[in-house]
Amino acid sequence: MASPQREGFSIPSSISHAALGQVTSKSLGVKYNCAQCAASFSLSKNDAIRCKECGHRVIYKSRTRRMVQFEAR
Amino acid sequence: MPPKRKASRVAAESDEAFQELFQPEYKGKKLTDEINTAEDKWNLLPAFLKVKGLVKQHLDSFNYFVDTDLKKIIKANELVLSDVDPEFYLKYLDIRVGHRSKTPNDKLVLMPPHQCRLRDLTYSAPIFVDVEYTRGRKIIVHTDLEIGRMPIMLRSNKCILDGADDNTMARYDECPLDPGGYFIVNGTEKVILVQEQLSKNRIIVEADEKKGIVQASVTSSTHERKSKTYVITKNDKIYLKHNSISEDIPIVIILKAAGITSDLEILQLVCGSDPNYQDLFVVNFEEAARLEVFTQQQALNYVGKRVKTIRRAGAPKLSQLQEGIEAIATTIIAHLTVSDLQFKEKALYIATMARRVIMTMHNPTMVDDRDYVGNKRLELAGQLMSLLFEDLFKKFNSDFKANIDKVLKKPSRTSEFDALLSINIHSNNITMGLNRAISTGNWSLKRFKMERAGVTHVLSRLSYISALGMMTRISSQFEKSRKVSGPRALQPSQFGMLCTSDTPEGEACGLVKNLALMTHITTDDEELPIKKLCYMLGCEPILGVDSATLHDEGNFGIHVNGTLVGTTRFPGKFVENFRKLRRTGKVSAFISIHTNTHQQAVHIATDGGRICRPLIIVENGKSKVTAEHLLKLKKGEWAFDDFLVHGLVEYLDVNEENDSLIALYEENINENSVPTTHLEIEPFTVLGAVAGLIPYPHHNQSPRNTYQCAMGKQAIGAIAYNQFRRIDTLLYFMVYPQQPMVKTKTIELIDYDKLPAGQNATVAVMSYSGYDIEDALVLNKASIDRGFGRCQVVRKNTIQLKRYPNHTKDILSGMRVDEHGNPIFPHQALGPDGLGEVGARIENGQIYANKFVPTNAGESALGGASEPTNVESHRETPAYYKGPEPSYVDQVMMSVSDNDQALIKVLLRQTRRPELGDKFSSRHGQKGVCGIIVQQEDLPFNDMGISPDIIMNPHGFPSRMTVGKMIELISGKAGVLNGTLEYGTCFGGSKLEDMSKILVDKGFSYSGKDMLYSGITGECLQAYIFFGPIYYQKLKHMVLDKMHARARGPRAVLTRQPTEGRSRDGGLRLGEMERDCVIAYGASQLLLERLMISSDAFEVDICNKCGLMGYNSWCTTCKSSENIIKMTIPCAAKLLFQELLSMNIAPRLRLGDVF
Repeated sequence: MASPQREGFSIPSSISHAALGQVTSKSLGVKYNCAQCAASFSLSKNDAIRCKECGHRVIYKSRTRRMVQFEAR
Repeated sequence: MPPKRKASRVAAESDEAFQELFQPEYKGKKLTDEINTAEDKWNLLPAFLKVKGLVKQHLDSFNYFVDTDLKKIIKANELVLSDVDPEFYLKYLDIRVGHRSKTPNDKLVLMPPHQCRLRDLTYSAPIFVDVEYTRGRKIIVHTDLEIGRMPIMLRSNKCILDGADDNTMARYDECPLDPGGYFIVNGTEKVILVQEQLSKNRIIVEADEKKGIVQASVTSSTHERKSKTYVITKNDKIYLKHNSISEDIPIVIILKAAGITSDLEILQLVCGSDPNYQDLFVVNFEEAARLEVFTQQQALNYVGKRVKTIRRAGAPKLSQLQEGIEAIATTIIAHLTVSDLQFKEKALYIATMARRVIMTMHNPTMVDDRDYVGNKRLELAGQLMSLLFEDLFKKFNSDFKANIDKVLKKPSRTSEFDALLSINIHSNNITMGLNRAISTGNWSLKRFKMERAGVTHVLSRLSYISALGMMTRISSQFEKSRKVSGPRALQPSQFGMLCTSDTPEGEACGLVKNLALMTHITTDDEELPIKKLCYMLGCEPILGVDSATLHDEGNFGIHVNGTLVGTTRFPGKFVENFRKLRRTGKVSAFISIHTNTHQQAVHIATDGGRICRPLIIVENGKSKVTAEHLLKLKKGEWAFDDFLVHGLVEYLDVNEENDSLIALYEENINENSVPTTHLEIEPFTVLGAVAGLIPYPHHNQSPRNTYQCAMGKQAIGAIAYNQFRRIDTLLYFMVYPQQPMVKTKTIELIDYDKLPAGQNATVAVMSYSGYDIEDALVLNKASIDRGFGRCQVVRKNTIQLKRYPNHTKDILSGMRVDEHGNPIFPHQALGPDGLGEVGARIENGQIYANKFVPTNAGESALGGASEPTNVESHRETPAYYKGPEPSYVDQVMMSVSDNDQALIKVLLRQTRRPELGDKFSSRHGQKGVCGIIVQQEDLPFNDMGISPDIIMNPHGFPSRMTVGKMIELISGKAGVLNGTLEYGTCFGGSKLEDMSKILVDKGFSYSGKDMLYSGITGECLQAYIFFGPIYYQKLKHMVLDKMHARARGPRAVLTRQPTEGRSRDGGLRLGEMERDCVIAYGASQLLLERLMISSDAFEVDICNKCGLMGYNSWCTTCKSSENIIKMTIPCAAKLLFQELLSMNIAPRLRLGDVF
């Protein structure tokens, strides 16, 4: 698979983060959806796994924005 | 049951599946149409299934357990007393599951079952008790004390899905067609299979004709204990045998001990006035006289001397007489309770057993049949749960008591002792005990010495049918190894109760059975009111009956649950009156009564676990269900229970069925000397749910139907309406499932047409290409391209992020990149959060979860201050995807399990098109693998240009005799041409003649054969080809999951031989037999290569002086390198030598020159 432009991907290098001063609550830019209220939100590393709107404890990772190629057979 | 009926009416209004019933036009019949009872009485079946359902027995049993049995258990163990403080007591007043005392109708809102599945939790409700206890001098009543949590059966009356309509079900992410009846424990769905056993508390007489032994045995089962009492013959004399008595007691002695001291009375009770019986019995008196036992006291002493006593420490020692009384009162035939030393009933019971033995000695045909379904009881989830709960509750109480005693023992307490504080400590025991038993399936109860494994099974979700089939399954307690055919054989009494076709092949054949479509399993009913009723109906109480007249000709004993309660001279009238009361609803509908003329007895059964089924009552040669009633049913005015209440339909159990004459069809009803008593509702209900899928099963050879029952459960199809919301370990979906062209009524009743598992394939029965021998199928490539047999496989991968005691935890980390800034190959499917991107393609060797485990997880929390969670202090433990074909990440679910650890489930999906070697089957036990996939251009076609999806070799027919498959093809073809769905219902369905008529009308041959043109030459084929649609199932066995080859690969560490098995990329073994072949052939060099060089060659240094192995050209034994010789041997041989050395055996090698 050729590597397409990866949206929402930031190289996790500690130096750049330190320089930008975003050591705390580094949101990875990944969206999650709540299984109950379908709210979309992002979580940071140390957040508890629960919906930010309704507090439901089952969440799903939302679909990638990368291009995915299927073989139609 | 008026409340239930009401509930079912409410449910009915919301139940869309049955809305059809209330439409003005139903199955092509209008309300005004003439109603033909013979045709339309089958409508009772959907009505029955609506109130009872296929898994209703599980639900009924569980409901009975939670609502009634729990209260009984509490009542039986209500007091907790302290050994230390005589003032203290705690009394259980009431018990409830799922709701509090103040709000009896408001169920607590439980976590929805689907959420429990996703989060690996247990679907359970709290158990509340009300207690009354002393605190100091005060008596305190405490309500709603939670003592644990009870796993809840889905769709039982404690479940939040109870009475839910389709919309509510959808809101809870549940499938409205899901049968329920299972538990969710730690996220897995568990079924407690129905267990079949010999009935308890009944006398079973058996004979061994070779040894001349006759024995009557009874298994007494009460809440406290379970024991078995035998009355056996030995040298033509009769003895009583019991496990807790060391020696067999002569029958006369035991009867004397039980208070029948007169020899005449014993003779009267056992033999009556029959001289044959008296002659056989008389030796027993001699035995007693020789042992000099004449009085009751002597007899009691005799028994007491032989009792094996296991006294608890501290209990007072009893005299022999007391031991004897104790034995008679409590241990022998324990299910009869004795009060005030009134042994008469027990004596009568023993006498009855002895009489049965005498009768069998006189006439060996009087034995009972162990395999007769009437002598069997089915144990359901509720009963098993109740046994388990009682055990746990007793344990809970004894733990609680020990705890109180410990506290009360302390001389001075700072505050007044409150018992409730210590009750909560143990509440986890009940919860954990229930959960553990259900999730492991090990039922171990010390009270009954019961140690049963494999009681529960994971609900198979391969397809809707496999789940349904599991709910109706019955497992037997017989060992599988015994080579007796009796328990495995089809019993005539199974008719209509247990499916005649659905049983596995192989070792469990005939031992695992399935319920038929219209069966119901009874729950326990109160015995006392029935006894009273018997006395009202003119039964003389047994204690008032003169022993001399007991066995008189025409005097019938009345037995309630196997115990003689009285006699009557008019058994016919008695039974008739009793039945009348039952039909009017004065007595529970599930109580059975039947006459046994051989034993001169009327038997009434109220116990639970009997199999029964509804039948239409026939009186005076007329079916009581008439057109008028069926009309009411159609209009929706009546439900099934109304038929019961009005005495038109009644439930018969197997024993009572044997006492009736049941007509199969209305025209079979007669009024001869033996008048018809009942009419079958619908003959196809002899089959179960799974066998009901087969079209025209009455035209098939019977084993074929059995094969289909096994295969129907392996078919890939739709699983449930919520199938894409489910995250199961492994799920198969068919991409384009179709409902069958040829349906059966059963298919509609169990909603198989809504969740089908298969596709209607156009089949040509002909030979093609030679790749179709041995049942192989030829598939059309164009059909496959259009989606024939396409399926999806989704597999769950669970990742748990653990927390450790020293405040470290597992973490996920993003991807690593190469020098160009692109992620390295294994990380290509990952997102920045270290989990696979949803929708991304993932190939062999790529990572879907980049987990890191802390390196210092084992260290104590006190040492180093908790490190910040960075990657440096963690070790990489990624989850790799392994598989020959890539998958796609379908879903990534993140949640928290009950111990507060993050739970991540990654669902990987594959879409598979049929390939060479994939397995397919029709619905007639005709399986085959795909042998070749052919371009549509090369396939034969008819004059309309239709080419087949599947070509099946005609050799599959003659030996299998699956005529049903041929009729399915013709009916299906007629249906296709006519635009209708045809029926292949058992003992009915669309008639072949009508189907042929349609074919002819549409310009086809009546026989279903078409003229085809060769796709290769374009010439027309030499023969007419049987051509039409047959419903084909794709089975779960796919080449992709099984293919395996290896040239080089991993080796086991110990032996250095190649590993074993596909999952470990193992080698293919060249075993002993193959080795023999190679030796016989003389290719010893090949053998050397296969068994050593290609396997575990190992170079050793052998000392030719001492014969032992050294290393580095040095013999450690001889301390020299003089005689060292290097040679190659298998590593396994080296290992053997070393193991022998370790056991003080020195294998010494002597080497010599070969050439």
